[in-house]
Amino acid sequence: MPSITMNRIRNKKPTDLLFDATVVAICILIFFIVAYPIYFIVIASISDPTYVSTGRVLFVPKGFSLFGYEQIFSDSRVWIGYRNTLFYALFGTFVNLLLTLPAAYVLSRHEFKARRFLMFFFIFTMFFNGGLIPTYMLMRDLSLIDTPWVFIFNPLTVNVFNLIITRTFFENNIPHEMFEAATMDGCSHFKFFSSIVLPLSKAVTAVIGLYYLVWHWNDFFTGLIYIRNYDLQPLQIVLRDILLSNQVFAEGAGSGGTGGGYAQRYADQVKYGVIIVSSLPVLILYPFIQKYFEKGVLIGSVKG
Amino acid sequence: MALIQGTNTETLPKAKKATILNTLRRDYQLWLMILPAIICVIIFNYIPMYGIQLAFREYDFTAGLTGGEWAGFKYFEQFINSHLFWDLIRNTLLISITTIVVGFPAPIALALLVNQIRWKRGKRILQTTVYLPHFISIVVLVGLLNVMLSPNTGVIGLLLAKLGVEGNLLASVKAFVPIYVLSDVWQHVGWNSIIYLAALAAVDPQLYDAAKIDGANKWQIIRNVEIPAIIPTIIILLILNMGTVISTGFEKIFLMQNSLNLPISEVIETYVYKTGIVSNQFSYAAAIGLFNTMINFMMLVIVNTIAKKVARISLW
Amino acid sequence: MKNKVLLFITICLVLLLAACSDDETSNEPKETEDGKVVLTGLITKHPLTKDLEDMEWLAEVEERAGVEIQWEEVTADWDQKKGAMLAGGDIPDIIVGPNAITDADFAQFPGLFEDLKPLIEEHGPNIQAMFEEQPETELLSTQTDGEIYGLSKYQQFWPETATMQFINQQWLDNLGLDTPTNWDELFDVLMAFEEEDANGNGDPNDEIPMDFAPVAETGFGYFHPTVLLGSMGMTVTGGGGQGYFLEDGEVKNFFIDERYKTFVSFLNKLYENGLINDEAFTQDYSQYQALARGEGEDAKIGYTFGWEKTDRFGLGVSDQYETFDPMKVSADYDGEVSWSYDYNELNFGVNFVQMSSATSNKEAAMKFINELYDPEVSLQVLFGSIGPNIEKTGDNSYKILEPQDEEMDPGTWKWTSTWADNGPMFISDQLDVELPVDMKAVDEQQAPFNDVFESLDRENDVFPGMMLKYSEEDHNQMTLVNTDFMNIAISKFGEWITSGGIEDEWDSYVQQVEQMGLPSNIEIIQGYYDDYKEQLN
Repeated sequence: MPSITMNRIRNKKPTDLLFDATVVAICILIFFIVAYPIYFIVIASISDPTYVSTGRVLFVPKGFSLFGYEQIFSDSRVWIGYRNTLFYALFGTFVNLLLTLPAAYVLSRHEFKARRFLMFFFIFTMFFNGGLIPTYMLMRDLSLIDTPWVFIFNPLTVNVFNLIITRTFFENNIPHEMFEAATMDGCSHFKFFSSIVLPLSKAVTAVIGLYYLVWHWNDFFTGLIYIRNYDLQPLQIVLRDILLSNQVFAEGAGSGGTGGGYAQRYADQVKYGVIIVSSLPVLILYPFIQKYFEKGVLIGSVKG
Repeated sequence: MALIQGTNTETLPKAKKATILNTLRRDYQLWLMILPAIICVIIFNYIPMYGIQLAFREYDFTAGLTGGEWAGFKYFEQFINSHLFWDLIRNTLLISITTIVVGFPAPIALALLVNQIRWKRGKRILQTTVYLPHFISIVVLVGLLNVMLSPNTGVIGLLLAKLGVEGNLLASVKAFVPIYVLSDVWQHVGWNSIIYLAALAAVDPQLYDAAKIDGANKWQIIRNVEIPAIIPTIIILLILNMGTVISTGFEKIFLMQNSLNLPISEVIETYVYKTGIVSNQFSYAAAIGLFNTMINFMMLVIVNTIAKKVARISLW
Repeated sequence: MKNKVLLFITICLVLLLAACSDDETSNEPKETEDGKVVLTGLITKHPLTKDLEDMEWLAEVEERAGVEIQWEEVTADWDQKKGAMLAGGDIPDIIVGPNAITDADFAQFPGLFEDLKPLIEEHGPNIQAMFEEQPETELLSTQTDGEIYGLSKYQQFWPETATMQFINQQWLDNLGLDTPTNWDELFDVLMAFEEEDANGNGDPNDEIPMDFAPVAETGFGYFHPTVLLGSMGMTVTGGGGQGYFLEDGEVKNFFIDERYKTFVSFLNKLYENGLINDEAFTQDYSQYQALARGEGEDAKIGYTFGWEKTDRFGLGVSDQYETFDPMKVSADYDGEVSWSYDYNELNFGVNFVQMSSATSNKEAAMKFINELYDPEVSLQVLFGSIGPNIEKTGDNSYKILEPQDEEMDPGTWKWTSTWADNGPMFISDQLDVELPVDMKAVDEQQAPFNDVFESLDRENDVFPGMMLKYSEEDHNQMTLVNTDFMNIAISKFGEWITSGGIEDEWDSYVQQVEQMGLPSNIEIIQGYYDDYKEQLN
């Protein structure tokens, strides 16, 4: 590839060197600004909370203890929560994508007459909603309350924001000529969508898949409102309960019992530990998705 | 926005003057593909919308959600005549517009920056790091702010004191918006940049090569190749962002409130919580909610129209 | 792909159909095989509290009442859950929890809850006994129109104030100072704490002379400095709340009282001299607690407020602190001295248990509720089962046992073992109970405050805030005014203390607050108070 050799030479221009140096400097700065608080959470989750609150934990853990994690993992509900959330997130995301991707494709077709009306139809729901009570009544009438289905079919099953993002991507990255060429070969919309559009759109599929997945992962509102049976509760509800049970006496001492050092002392440790326990799985996932963001990887994959 | 008038830019060359039947026949595949999404939205989003009329009615449990006495604009008037109304509007707009002004360009800049890194490993590490804060819950984020900004013991508090910024930032009316916005950027910039990274990944490598052959330096490549590639995404997101101009979110502001920053930190959402939700005043809460929605929606329509005229990009 | 889409639509439809068709809720009374009535229950319990099925006393109570209750246990975010549940009309037979359903809910959801009045007359002897011994409990349970939807509770043991003041006695001794008896002396003592090395660790700058709990934007509560208003003869309740208090039978609000101005000016003077923790307004509760625990043997705080010594200061430095008599505003003040009077808030409670009007077997449900109000059961509701938590030492006498888990303090143990203060109960004054150590410690430390309360005219000087039942309309009206008013009042409180300016702004502030409708609120409350007083006599 001659162009690459050429690049290397051209890159040695002095302006580009200065440019590269600036990029590196800014990146390092950003890295530390973002990383330090995260690092702090990690060390705070294994340090004595009294030291944390009084600012004596800065760079190394102090008063090492794993009490917070013991509290979290000794609770059997955590594992049920993990299992439930995993199911809701994976199956939910699958359904979300199954609905969103074809719809976005349709909305990206300029020849589709109802396109503008339907866009408006979808966007309208981003703004206007009936509120919690009618939604609750609907769920009750559909008998979805206290079933796992409510995590999958709810007002956010088709997330209009994600729909718009996907449509924009399809519009701008699928060349029109491709479809025309494909129709010449007698290719239907279904075929075109599944064998050309989808492979070309791995990046955006990865992004909105991630958006949906993380939404499911962090969603505790659905569990809170629609679920009464504890065995169906997602991880976030379980963790919230654990967090609260260690944080209960904030301002509550007067309401009856003494707060006691016992619970209060470890409240913050549990608080920071919960963050790590709840987000670790989603974090591990990210590097797998990252590869779709490499420059040129997509076009290349189709051509090759 | 009528269905049939969907005037359009490009139609297939073969298409005749369309009758509804013809269109349906031609587009039945497309209709089939979008039908599940439509059904889903009708059931879960449109059916409950009858609840909107609660804003105009007295809530009457025995008569059902839509059976209460008609109250007209009573609850809207109650809100507008509230002593805090103008303070609430001012605070809400100040916070949300600052968030948009600072928070919107940040992920774009970050995505472009990350895209310049050639050391793959470093790039991945940076990307993963900036993505992490998104997963911190608001309770913990506000706790972190409290610990770190403490003027006596916090890292940032002590650092600022060394730089000559004295006093307790958490207590300051002036510092509230910057703290809120910057911590918001810190938390979401990485996450929000993902979409731009995906758009950048789709740039045709040939464009880069062509630019380099033309002797473009890196800065020129960013301006002439990369930014144009993500412009449609930027505009669409900007339109959507303008549709949240009077929404600030509730939890973070509520948790950051203290008696000293209250003059700046009381916003519509926290007010609704204190009056409407805590005391079950459903109609009042619904009216304020609808008031917000109307403003947001109007902003969206206006910005969308402008974008359509100026950049030929629009939501519908 | 075509197939996939079709398949999906089919799945969707089938699911919806299936979901719609299995609607089989019926109102027939359900029974277990051995003839017990099956009911559903919901409890808003404390997050620490163990599973209900592990509570021995509860199993016995259900057994005795001939019911089996399927409990839903709610530990968090009840307010959010509740709205949808009530509006959907979808409630369990029995709901338990501290004011889990409020008077406003009864007014807003008429017909959803059962009027217990006739049932109590027929099947509620224990509840009747409570109403007789503690007439307040009947008032607390009765709505303005005479129905009883939610039952109140009474627990005799709690002290008369939740907020005690503590001073570091060791620091006073180190510096050769006396316990302050008025605000001027307090100022001098705090100055000495600030300037000298009171804790004797060689660093004269690590002492924080005074600290108080973070003030919520919705009003004052426990552990706030508003207790000092008592120095000028004002008795606040519940730490201050939204400022309403009672003086000679007249409802007033301290936020527009000259004495409040004096109080805020004094705090401003302390703050300007660096005597109040400069993070007092911005710290959260856990920072507030952590700071007072000091470092090892070195205490950090000179003068502060809390529930009990070891709770407030931890085991390391709690010995250094003592409670002391409420102070006078100045040496030449010769009026009454008072303090925050919280007995009602701590010992009574409203709406602890209610029944759905759709309950299939109301009699059985009532029997169960009645059992909870049996004095011996009530004691177990509060402290845990007889056996692991309580020892029965005589016919009418009991001893509360030490925690089985040695690491736990008695308070945590109680909350872990049972419903504790979140449960409905009637702890009759007839019971003879030996309290756990933490409650005994509270009692001992309360002595200085009890003296003050001895001369207190409880009828005319204690605002019975929680005893008053407002109509829905008045309630809504007052909430709106109070939200606006608190926004100004609390932010001004902070601003005046930290930056001064009360002298210049006071008049316009009072005017502004009055415009918002505070006088009409006071008038409304006065009306309700007068009615209440009449009812009680």
